[in-house]
Parts: sequence; structure tokens; C-alpha cells
Amino acid sequence: MIRLKARPVTRGLAEGEALVSRMAISFTGGMDPESGIIREPGHDLFGQSVAGKILVFPTGKGSTTGSWQYYAAFKRGFAPKGIINEKAEGVVAVSAIITETPMVHGLEKNPFDYIETGDFVRIDADKGFVEIIKI
Amino acid sequence: MELTPQQKDMLAGKQGDGMRKAMDILTAYGQCYDAQRLIPVTSVHIAGNFPVLLDEGIDWLEDLAQGGTRVRVFTTKNPEMYDPLQADEMKIPMRLRQRQGRIHDVLKKLGVVLTYSCHHYLAGNVPRFGDHIAWASSGSQVFANSVIGARSNRDGDHVALAAAIAGVIPEWGLHLKENRRADLIVDVGELVLESYGPEDFKALGWSLGKKIGARLPVFINLPPDLHIEKIKGLLYTLTVTGAMGMVHLVGITPEAPDLETALGKGSVHPPTLAATPEDVDKAYGEISSGTSDKIDLVIFGCPQCSIQEVQEISELMEGKKIHADTRFWICTSAWVKLLCDRMGLLKTLTAAGVRVVSDVGAADGPHLYLKEQGVRVIAVNSARASYYAHNLFGMETWFGSTRECVLSAISGKWEGRK
Repeated sequence: MIRLKARPVTRGLAEGEALVSRMAISFTGGMDPESGIIREPGHDLFGQSVAGKILVFPTGKGSTTGSWQYYAAFKRGFAPKGIINEKAEGVVAVSAIITETPMVHGLEKNPFDYIETGDFVRIDADKGFVEIIKI
Repeated sequence: MELTPQQKDMLAGKQGDGMRKAMDILTAYGQCYDAQRLIPVTSVHIAGNFPVLLDEGIDWLEDLAQGGTRVRVFTTKNPEMYDPLQADEMKIPMRLRQRQGRIHDVLKKLGVVLTYSCHHYLAGNVPRFGDHIAWASSGSQVFANSVIGARSNRDGDHVALAAAIAGVIPEWGLHLKENRRADLIVDVGELVLESYGPEDFKALGWSLGKKIGARLPVFINLPPDLHIEKIKGLLYTLTVTGAMGMVHLVGITPEAPDLETALGKGSVHPPTLAATPEDVDKAYGEISSGTSDKIDLVIFGCPQCSIQEVQEISELMEGKKIHADTRFWICTSAWVKLLCDRMGLLKTLTAAGVRVVSDVGAADGPHLYLKEQGVRVIAVNSARASYYAHNLFGMETWFGSTRECVLSAISGKWEGRK
């Protein structure tokens, strides 16, 4: 198991299977609130659902209305369980706050060197760390 | 982030659950950008309408309003989906009326001023130079920074509403003077701007927005007496294809009396981007998405039409009649519609078959039901409306001047450039 220090954006604990993207995500237009599926053409998660995952991606982008779309996806059961960003951006941070989704950023090491899709990942946003268990 | 004892109490929930939620949002948001403190805001504008909020968003607002949470800063609201005074004759579906009714009720409960307008700064929500504000609408946010000299970041609705409730916003980005300096020079001197209509400034904005991206440009060689409608045309389109929060227009922007001031005194000159007539021509081809010539609807008002624009349209339509198979809408605010009525414009326009629709904009809300009513091809004089109506609602769009759109409404087919 690897433990990395991280800066909390919200509070709480989350654990589950990692889904890793190397690309920024826009929740308005980029993610279908009816399914949690990434629908932006050319995105490296195109066609995959973020529902129930620990979503690892560099940062947010796009319309500031993204937090409404994320909230709708959350209420319908299609949001991720937790979020790890390289650098948090306003739309994603607000989405995590209003849905009480554990979220951290600014890990002590580059998350893309340590986390792969399918890894079991635990976020502790209260104490400020991430644990990675390779399965 | 440093919080005052009073702000700590607000965050701890001592001023109610709504205030705690607002402070939660503001502190998480501020932390993303390493804001050091929260500073007072004097003006807020919120944007989201039903196509963006969805049912869950309305629930969220209703939860927020529980326990008597109210805004403490003057807050106005962007357009909605339909004109409530024409709901029956325009056959607005009941499910949409019910949603808009809930949004109306909850915003009223929160204390938001129900302007349903995106030209709120023409009707009372006018910040002063240097004011810190939170305007969640990319076009008017850039207008506030670039024309008024008020300071707003590209905040979303949740942040703007939280700021309205708490009365403060994290100090980062464009709230700080040192972040308001230009990092790119845009030279428009090669263009014959004297011959440019508002639509040409929109095409110019479309082309430059893509190249500027999220940088903070300073425009040089613009005529200083540029009409406000042309300035709006440029700024509101730049933010469709770009993500900038502010633009310096030398001789127009209060913080840009000259190039040196916009860049920051003594700084090294950043790169220069020169706009060409070819860029503008190319943009026309990109903005229009139409394939069929037959026009179902001519729709103006993104941003909502000012009284001056309605006067222009009314003069063009005087004594004319629109084609039997084409509809013609002018989207505006309730008070501009009132002015139209008072000045006799409404009579002229109604006789010509033109409908003046208040509380909506031409880019989004109405397309939800217009599509269901068989509208497929639209003509617009707004590049912004073309982009959103096509990308969010699948409309085929033709973009051109006000005059070309009016001629198209009369003949029933597209009369502008293709």
C-alpha cells in the first residue's frame, strides 16, 4: 500500500475503484447527467461512466454551469464516490462541496505515477491523504 | 484562508444552515486558488435556467431557501424559458411552466430581483469602477470587467449565490489589480473598422476568441468612439469561443487609457496577434450551421435586445409583413417591452407579424419547446445564439446582420451570406 499526503478540498472518506483520466473534464456537455458517461468526443474516458468511481483527473474545465449538471448526476446516482485532482478548479470544487463528495488535490507526488485505473484507492479528506492498493 | 471571527461563526452554522452552505462553497472555492481572505461584494447576477438546473437543481435551491435564507447583496437573474404573459398563445408545455414557476417562487423567497434579463446593467444592477462583484454569466462578466471596470471572476451560479448570501467572495484572480494586466496584444489596425457593422464585430470576436483562449488581451487601434452595440458584439462573442474573463480595449476600458497602462508600466511587451480580414470572413462560414434555405424562425436577442435595437428592427419592418411560414421573435426584458408598447413600436411590429417576447434570450430557454413545435432552421444576428442553439439544441442556424435577418423573415428564406 502506498500513502500520499494530499490537500483536502472538502471533507470525508471515500474508497473504491480508481478511474484515471489524463484530460481535464467539463461537466456541462462533457458528462451525461443521465448516466455519468463521459461524452466529449476525443476524451480519454469517452464512453466510460464515472459513477461510483474514485475519479482521478488533472483539473476541471468548461462552463461554470457544470456544478448544476454534476449535482443532477449525483442525485440520480451517477456521480463518482470521490475525486482526486492534480490542481482543483472552481467548478469541480463546488460540485464536490454541494454533494459532500470527498475531494483532495495537490498530492505530494504526481498522482499519475502512482494511480492506475482499477487500483483500489482510499481518500481521507479529513486527515489529508490518499492510499493506493494495487490489486 | 484567514477568516474573521464573524466569518468563522457563519461557517460554523451559527447564522443558519443556508449561511453555512454558502460559506462552505466560498471557502472550498477560495482554497482552490489560494485566496487569502474574503472581501465584500456589491453586486451579484445569477444565470442558470431550467435546461441547466434540471429538476435536481430546483430541489437544491428550495433546500437552500429553507429556514429563511436570503441574499444580502443586490442580486439579479438572467432570462428564463418563456414569456409568462404569452404562455397560452405560445403553447408552452405545462411541464415547463411548472418548472419555471418553481424557479420563480424559490428565487423570490431567496430575495433575488426577478429581472429575467441579461442586460441587467441597463436596468439597475450597475456596479461602479473598482467594485468587487460576482456575475455568473460569461458575457456580462467580461462586459463588467472591460467596460465598467468592476471586478468579477468567471464564477458559476453556486459561487455567485453563496456570495450573495454571505456578502463576500474569495479574493483571487481578477479581484486583484496585479492580475488585471494584459498578457497579449491584439492589433485590429489592419481591418477597416469604420465599415464594420455589429455583426462584423461578432465575427471578429468569434475568430479572435479561439486564438486568445484564456489569456487577457489588450486590443489596440480600435476607434475610441466605438458604439456600445459594437463593443457588446465583440465582447459577448469573444467569450463564446474563448475563456477570458477580461479584455482591455485601449481608449474604452477604464484601466486602459493607453497600451502601457494596460500592460503594467515598465513591463516587457507580450506577443502581438494581428487580426486580418480573412479571419473575419472565415468566421462567418464557421458561425452558420445551416444547410436548408427555408427559415422557420428569425430570433433576435442574445444578449436581449436593447430599446435601440428594437427601434432599428421596427423601422426595417414598418409597413412590411413577414412570410406566412416564418416566425419572427424579438427577445428582450420586460421593461424594454414596456417601452416598446409606450413608444408605439409594439403596434408596428405586431402589424408586421413580429412578436416581442420578454423574459427570455435567443440562445437557450425557448429552443426547448420551439424544437417540439417544429422549428428547425433559425436566422440570428448573434453568433452567441448561433453557437448555443446549434450545440445545445441541434438547431440549424444562419448568422448575418439585423437587416439580412429581417429580409429573410419577409421572404421566408435565408438572404444573408453563406
